[in-house]
Amino acid sequence: VIVAALAVPFAIGLLLIAGRAHLSGRMAAWLGAAAMTASLALYVVIWAGRDAGTYAAGAVDAPWIEPLGARLQLGVTVISWPFALMTAFIGILCCLWLVATDTAPSLVGLVLVISASALGVFSSLDALLLFVFFELALIPMWFVIAWWGSAGSRRAATRFLLFTVAGSALLLVGIVIASLHGSSLEIINLRTTTVAAVLITLGFAVKTPIVPLHTWLPDAHSAAPTVGSVLLAAVFLKLGTYGLLVFVAPSDHVADIAPYLAIAGAIGIVWSGFACYAQDDLKRLIAYSSIGHMGFVVFAISTRSEVGLAAAVFGSVAHGLVTGLLFFAAGSLKDRFGTASIAAIGRGLYGRMPWLAVTLVLAAVASLGLPGLAGFWGELLSLRAAYEVGEVLTKPVAWTGLGLALLGIALTTAYFVRAIRLLAQGEPVPHVGDRDLGRREVVVMGALVLAIVVLGLAPQLLLDLYEPTSIAVAP
Amino acid sequence: MRSVLRSHWLYVALTAVLAIVVAVWAVPDLRERSWFAYAPGGGPGLTPPLPSLSPDLFLFPASAQIVLLAVGVCLLVQIYSTAYLGHHRRYRSYALVIVLFLVAMIAVVGTTNLWVLLVGWEVMGLCSYLLIGHEWETGEARAGAAKAFLVTRIADLGLVLAILVIGETYGTYDLIGALPFEGEARNTTAIGLLVLVAVVGKSAQFPLHSWLPDAMPGPTPITALIHAATMVAAGVYLAARMLPFYADSAIALTAMAVVAGITMLMGAVFALVQTDLKRALAWSTVSQLALMFAAVAASDPEAGLDHLVAHGAFKALLFLGCGCLMHAVGTSALSAMGGLRRPMPVTFWTMTIGFAALAGIVPTAGFFTKDSVLHALRGATDGDGALASGTAWTLLVVALVTSFVTAAYATRLWLLAFFGPAPAEQPGVVAPDPHEAPWAMTGPLVVLAVATFALSIGQPLHLGTGVLSTAVAVAGAGAVLLAWRRGSALSWAPAPLAGELGLDRPFTHWIPALVRPVSRTVVDLDRDAVDVYPRGGASAVGLVSRGLGLVQSRDVQRYATVLAAGVLVLVVVGVVAS
Repeated sequence: VIVAALAVPFAIGLLLIAGRAHLSGRMAAWLGAAAMTASLALYVVIWAGRDAGTYAAGAVDAPWIEPLGARLQLGVTVISWPFALMTAFIGILCCLWLVATDTAPSLVGLVLVISASALGVFSSLDALLLFVFFELALIPMWFVIAWWGSAGSRRAATRFLLFTVAGSALLLVGIVIASLHGSSLEIINLRTTTVAAVLITLGFAVKTPIVPLHTWLPDAHSAAPTVGSVLLAAVFLKLGTYGLLVFVAPSDHVADIAPYLAIAGAIGIVWSGFACYAQDDLKRLIAYSSIGHMGFVVFAISTRSEVGLAAAVFGSVAHGLVTGLLFFAAGSLKDRFGTASIAAIGRGLYGRMPWLAVTLVLAAVASLGLPGLAGFWGELLSLRAAYEVGEVLTKPVAWTGLGLALLGIALTTAYFVRAIRLLAQGEPVPHVGDRDLGRREVVVMGALVLAIVVLGLAPQLLLDLYEPTSIAVAP
Repeated sequence: MRSVLRSHWLYVALTAVLAIVVAVWAVPDLRERSWFAYAPGGGPGLTPPLPSLSPDLFLFPASAQIVLLAVGVCLLVQIYSTAYLGHHRRYRSYALVIVLFLVAMIAVVGTTNLWVLLVGWEVMGLCSYLLIGHEWETGEARAGAAKAFLVTRIADLGLVLAILVIGETYGTYDLIGALPFEGEARNTTAIGLLVLVAVVGKSAQFPLHSWLPDAMPGPTPITALIHAATMVAAGVYLAARMLPFYADSAIALTAMAVVAGITMLMGAVFALVQTDLKRALAWSTVSQLALMFAAVAASDPEAGLDHLVAHGAFKALLFLGCGCLMHAVGTSALSAMGGLRRPMPVTFWTMTIGFAALAGIVPTAGFFTKDSVLHALRGATDGDGALASGTAWTLLVVALVTSFVTAAYATRLWLLAFFGPAPAEQPGVVAPDPHEAPWAMTGPLVVLAVATFALSIGQPLHLGTGVLSTAVAVAGAGAVLLAWRRGSALSWAPAPLAGELGLDRPFTHWIPALVRPVSRTVVDLDRDAVDVYPRGGASAVGLVSRGLGLVQSRDVQRYATVLAAGVLVLVVVGVVAS
């Protein structure tokens, strides 16, 4: 079943790229949405039929590259399930977003390949297989950014590619070392040395990104088309946090890395807060805010506790939904005005496009972590994990990070209030581009708003997976 | 359908349904003075569960009073708004946010789940942000809204941490389950100080007080709602409800007493010098809230909550009356008012009752509940509680001075608005013709005026403090009346007081002056410093490739020379080696 869940979007995606001349963009987007929905449904089937005894649901195990000991091992674990669910959901929404006459069918195809590769990463139980999927997602993303992006996108796309490829090289070396010390390439059998742990951490840190390895992100985000930004933020960054969760957090040598990880995460929260406060480009602002949210996740991972694990998973999923919504809203603005510059879009969106403005404000409020919306619980659990210190940090480090995180929350509020004040409020100056939400935008953003509110009001939906009793199966 | 949605009464009806449901739920709890066999989950030393938002509705008698006050005031505000803002093109979103505001307040007061409380607490902050910024076209409203949201939300981090500490200390996030028994409380100072941070922000106490007066650009009914029954009231409620967690901590209670003492006098003095009726009433709220915190600090939360309820009634009355005056003269500046008692009799009489209650005149509810607070402070002066005797005495004296100033400013505002001559007509400007507001606005005033008397039924009377506080209030009112009779214009505003002592400067100048350059530096560093290694890497690769490029010069002669030299070297090496 899990093979089918991956193969359907891959096959449809490649088909769309191959047959791009014979299809209308609208048709292709509907086809893509159908493929992602099928994949999502299959994942739900897999998870619903899970067996309490094993750690991975719907596991598949087949020989692959015998000499290396690499096997095609796929399955859904308690950690990867929320990630996979969120990826498939965002994939559907990206395809729905592309239901428009001016869509290129091959863009839909690339979106499908990217989503399917990310699903592949989240479903791999074998380290080498995970690495292959990890790399597989890169190239299509380069095309998406470089071909469908705004001015200067080629440069940003290449920067993105070089950064992540450099990170991947370190990651591969790390995996090889860890597999030599472990019994096989299966992720739970890897045994990292300190060197391997550092290399793997660096590899995923580029992707997450952790300050100071983050400079590719604002460029890539601001240049990418809307679906590209959404996929980058909601899905790609999660490859990094997921990797840290399954490779680094269980490692025996995490104690050597954790303090650096914690401080880098906490500094990232503050750093991005200050950077956002001075941004004029809305998409750059959202990109920097992502760095801050990933800081919370990294900080949580570095505590290596059950609460930290729940915080990291919840924070990742919530960030995917909230930042996805922010990028969709920013993308709608960019569609209308040709720019994401706050000054160029102008004031008074409440008066000019009330529904779009309300959606943007709601997304901003969710992103600044208002309790009752999805963004809050991940941050809260990170704070709690830091307060409890966890297994590997020392109290001074954890509580310093806690203090920085609190400062970061204050800054986050400040920059979003500033952005709302500059965009949504103010004397409206009408513009020819003013047009409220279209039906397609209502559907996509409505689905995300619903998900954010539901997850915000019922965090148990996700957190019940990580109540200390059910956590024993985590790899 | 569309016409129903446009109808103002839909939102009133929505609020009314909510109010009836709450009344059915809360009224039986009013007299219930104990709770039965409650099985707490968790316990000291256990790991608290991951957060959940199960509603866990439960009302204490005092919370029943507050929730009834909230729905009552909110219903009146909705009715009032149909006339006051019904013509506004954004009336619908306004009315809906009020409903959300009310639901959040009910969540804060009606639950034992600390997470639900936190959600309600912060959603209220969001709602007040949206409502204060309702007139977002104006710069004042934007600034006031942003300030209110920023200050309260940053202070709210105190509550988040307090909840975390409670969870780690008592092993549960349930308010009753965690409630410590006598002598068993732990981490009292930490919890107390964190709660204090949260309520200081929410209830606009010193030093985070300045957002409340700056929130005045919001529509007046909203001001009434925020000041009387929701937002700032939640701060007092929380401090009182959480008292068992820090009742043993002398540090936390002393800090609260100091904050309350500074704030009550400061607010009253600032109210005395204002030239704007609405802003004066806002400072009056700040001062009255401090009086309630003083009662909590004196370990008598019941007195504080009683005063909260009475204050809710008469302050809602005063703000809604202020709205009627603004409706009549078009501004809240005191200079535009005067002589309004004849054209606006209903507003005049109801606001007179409101001012009397504010000043603490017998037999309004304000008199009785302020009396209870003073009595509680007097009780704390024996030094048996956590508060030192000297602190309590100081607080009592400050409270009495505040009563004096309160009576003085209440009288001053009353005189300036309703007595004296109408403002002289400016040449060229058509003077507004003051007239009584429509019944949808005066009706709530009458209801609240009746409530201001009705709430005094059953209140305890402490004869000694009662006589003393009446004497102080009469002295305050008398002093102003005397000055008025002697022809004073009652405008006292020495320079430092008119600028409100510059206490706002840290928020308006210093912090922005710090954040802006830092953020610009961060952006510059991000571009020029952090980005050095990828660019350095790129230029290193460029250098190497150019170096290697030199070798491939497409010059055949040079290739041949290098080839020959290489062969020679190899031959020599080979010969020497063999």
